Amino acid sequence: MASSAGAGGRFLPGDPRTTEPYRLTPQLAFRVAILGLLFLALFAVLFLRLWALQVLSGDRYLAAANDNRVRTLRLEAPRGPVLDANGKLLVRNVAGTRVELWPADLPKTWTARKRELRSLAAVTGGEAKDMLAQLKAHGDDPLTPVIVQRGLKQDQIFYLSEHAAQFPGVQMQHSFLRSYPYRSLAAQVLGYVGQISPEEYKRLRGKGYQPTDALGQTGVESTYDSYLRGKDGRAQLTVDSRGRPKGAARVETNPSPGQALRLTIHIDLQRAAERALKDGIRLARASGIEGAHADGGAIVALDPKDGAVLAMASYPTYQPSIFVGRKDAKKLAPLLNPTAAEMANHPGFNRAISVSYPPGSTFKPVTALAAMQEGLMRPGDVIPCTPDLIDHKQVFKNWTPLIDQGMTLTTALAESCDTYFYALGQRFFSLPPDRGHPLQAWANRFGFGATSGLDVGPETSGLIATPESHCKLWGGPPCAGYVDRIWKPGYSIQMAIGQNQVLVTPLQMARFYAMIANGGKLVTPHIGSDVELTGTNRQPVRILRRFGAQSPQPTGVDPTALRYVQQGLDEATHSPFGTSSGVFGSFPVDIAGKTGSAEKLFKLPGYPNPVNLTQSWWCGYGPYNSPKLVVCAVIENGGHGGTAAAPAALQVFEQYFGRNGQITTHASD
Amino acid sequence: MTIEAVDTRARGLRARRQSEAVGVGGMVRRLDWPLMGALVAVVGYGLWAIDGITRHDVGGSALTRQSIYVFAGSLLFLAALFVDPDRYRALRRPIYFGTLGVMIFVLAAGAATRGSRRWIDVGFFTFQPSEFGKVVFVLALAGFIAERSRSIGHPAAPLAAIGYGLAPIILVFVQPDIGTALVYLAALAAVLLIAGVRWSHLAVLATLTIVSALAVLWLLPSAGVNVLKPYQAARLTGFTHPNNDPQGVTYNLTQSITAVGAGGLRGRGVLGATQTRLNYLPEHATDFAFASLSEQHGFFGASILLLLYLLIVWRALKIVAGARDLYCAIVAGAIAFMFLFQVFVNSAMTMGIAPITGIPLPFVSVGGSSMITNFLALGILQSIHMRRGVRRRA
Repeated sequence: MASSAGAGGRFLPGDPRTTEPYRLTPQLAFRVAILGLLFLALFAVLFLRLWALQVLSGDRYLAAANDNRVRTLRLEAPRGPVLDANGKLLVRNVAGTRVELWPADLPKTWTARKRELRSLAAVTGGEAKDMLAQLKAHGDDPLTPVIVQRGLKQDQIFYLSEHAAQFPGVQMQHSFLRSYPYRSLAAQVLGYVGQISPEEYKRLRGKGYQPTDALGQTGVESTYDSYLRGKDGRAQLTVDSRGRPKGAARVETNPSPGQALRLTIHIDLQRAAERALKDGIRLARASGIEGAHADGGAIVALDPKDGAVLAMASYPTYQPSIFVGRKDAKKLAPLLNPTAAEMANHPGFNRAISVSYPPGSTFKPVTALAAMQEGLMRPGDVIPCTPDLIDHKQVFKNWTPLIDQGMTLTTALAESCDTYFYALGQRFFSLPPDRGHPLQAWANRFGFGATSGLDVGPETSGLIATPESHCKLWGGPPCAGYVDRIWKPGYSIQMAIGQNQVLVTPLQMARFYAMIANGGKLVTPHIGSDVELTGTNRQPVRILRRFGAQSPQPTGVDPTALRYVQQGLDEATHSPFGTSSGVFGSFPVDIAGKTGSAEKLFKLPGYPNPVNLTQSWWCGYGPYNSPKLVVCAVIENGGHGGTAAAPAALQVFEQYFGRNGQITTHASD
Repeated sequence: MTIEAVDTRARGLRARRQSEAVGVGGMVRRLDWPLMGALVAVVGYGLWAIDGITRHDVGGSALTRQSIYVFAGSLLFLAALFVDPDRYRALRRPIYFGTLGVMIFVLAAGAATRGSRRWIDVGFFTFQPSEFGKVVFVLALAGFIAERSRSIGHPAAPLAAIGYGLAPIILVFVQPDIGTALVYLAALAAVLLIAGVRWSHLAVLATLTIVSALAVLWLLPSAGVNVLKPYQAARLTGFTHPNNDPQGVTYNLTQSITAVGAGGLRGRGVLGATQTRLNYLPEHATDFAFASLSEQHGFFGASILLLLYLLIVWRALKIVAGARDLYCAIVAGAIAFMFLFQVFVNSAMTMGIAPITGIPLPFVSVGGSSMITNFLALGILQSIHMRRGVRRRA
């Protein structure tokens, strides 16, 4: 402690003001001493307490630590049921048992752990490999379990509980399984529930999801997951040193079940639509060469007033139950594996919204309305309907060479004259540049080329090409001078009959026909109606939140022009030469609608080159004077609209109105 | 040394000589080496212990992270050696109001995110101003009271100091961070004690503190006025009856006492310490680090740590006694007491004899703000010690 001042003081008399060290006053010394004593006392307390805990009672606490095996269990909340519009249960829960692995209690050595999981796999029918992979993905948290299987069978439960001693770290817990009383009905609309993936967990962690949660993957299960999932409860369970439960679990918080989701779907109509699809495909195949490759399709039924989706069918389909409980890789492959899906013609696709088709003649009302709005045609004008139309040396044929006469709009719609509409297409093409692209603009106004806002996805927006978008698609701009990028007259001509540069989804088309039916307002389609508390013991249903309809948006279409189109559609189903008069002419309810037979290049297995196959369409509504139902049907590769799609659509109307025109579906409302 | 002492009498040259005396060689010689040794030992021991404590955590061992904090802290420690404590004294107003400003900013940001927020995110690391503020608070408060040392016997001086100190304490308290607010209070008490406030005044203040604590915890709640949120009060008083609710509020406490006790004389080792490894003991890398250390390394391991702490505070008291002026003495005394207070409350809490608060264990708990702050505190102690006996211009 040689301070400079002290050392200096030893040799020379110091200047008291500079060399004298700061004097430790007795008062301060006393206080520092007090502090020192306090410090010593506090440390003494710490040492004594440490001694008391660790040495005097160490054995007792060691025993307590070894016996410290409280596990926090998650009590699964039952997922909310899904109801149809009339309250029929479409998706419910059945009690099941799940198998959990608790990493803390599993054997510590790799070989013992592997051996145990192998014998567990032998009992439950899973794969030890998968379980190990799941454990690894789970990370190092030893006190939350890994769910390796849901939906254990009774004999497996008995075996595991009888041999619990051989399976340390394996626990069975109550769980709920989704059950589908109507089997495959509305499969793509309902969607399925699966284990949350690590990426999804990362995204949803902030919203209270746990890594062991189930998550709605598609359909309404995904859209309304936050309402359906409910809130898990918690319980404390004490286990012994081998991980076996000691006594019953102590519930801390009870699980609160998910809310019931009511859909706008009418299950009877849905069933009729799905049956109609299958029948339509069968009809197409029976009709001969044109429809021989029919293998899929979709039907949409809408309420034209508010856009409620009453039925949405897609074929081929699947059983959502294959995602429940023990999973069979073979059954799941068509839904999860791209090549297997290709082989099975994509049963997972919701063709009503996720697939777009060329609309063919069902698009003609769009052309007609746009032409009238733009003053390119008046409904009374007679335009020749010739067997073919030649433009720039290119020949555009009518669907039949047998007609050669002048027609007004309603007749042209009724008989679906292509050359009449080719002529309109020419007029659209010849418009001066400052008029823009009114055909495309009106198509967009009618909801084409954009998703409809349906609450269930995934929706594709389809295609309404413009010269600009076409040029861009082929690598432009610049556009001029490149053959590929130029918008040719043939594109406008073919677009007028819904070919070539137009792709639409069945839902978009149904929405457009709903607009025709309701007098020019565009509805927003929706499937979820409300979430509610299901009344138990005769308590009334309490609606918690209504999703329901958004008010229809006016499109600005001229009511008179619309009137002519409606007339044309009604003639199409009733006049002697109407394209679907043979199907709807004798139905007691006045149905108006349009066929479509759109060509699309398909690569068929076994054929070297793509072949042109005809997509069978029918869209329409009824009753004509006060529309209640819009139906749009597509049979992929089904041939002419009148042979496959129209009869399928009729079946839906029959279910809705009754064969004799008596409304039946709403009887149970 | 002798020559320097002679030269210091030539007053015109003194400033230069003084700065030379604090050159590198002089600095190294004038350091308090036992304190340096204790610091190195406790940091090394803490790193070794925290590696074992966090080895089985989800994120893996925190050793790397903690080492980075140690490195950053060492830099700050070195920097503090070069700063004459008079600089702090001169700058006490900007220091004080700057700290207040940062604390208000944190509160406002916390209010914006609707929750408790104690830190500022600076990208690579979230910074807790209230932690760092402990030392800064002492520097400012000591300056404030040292100015009034002549009138310290008068009640106005301690009251003014309390008013000065209470502003940051309240800001920390409402964050809410009761533990850190208590540390600030301890520092305030130490400042008043060293500054020479009369015993009678100190006694009155102590009585007032005890009465208001009782009021906040028991009297006011029974009258229906809740100053603290119920969970806060439960944590503060829960330690008096740990078996009341072993799965609820005092769950941590029960698990912590079990962990300490299970450690026994020699400890259970890193693998055998199930309380830590299986996560029964929550927050074992931070608030309950002492319990984990005791479980893994037993009475011997925990005692080594406590003895190192004892060595540090003993050296700190020596520095108080040898400080060159009252300001330095107050700063050193407050730092010493604050350090001891943190060690005591943290380890006592894990053993069930102090309220559960979020006070980190110095040089052991994982956390950058705390590590850096403690390094800074010891750096200031060393800086005071190096300048002992060099008298200020009167």
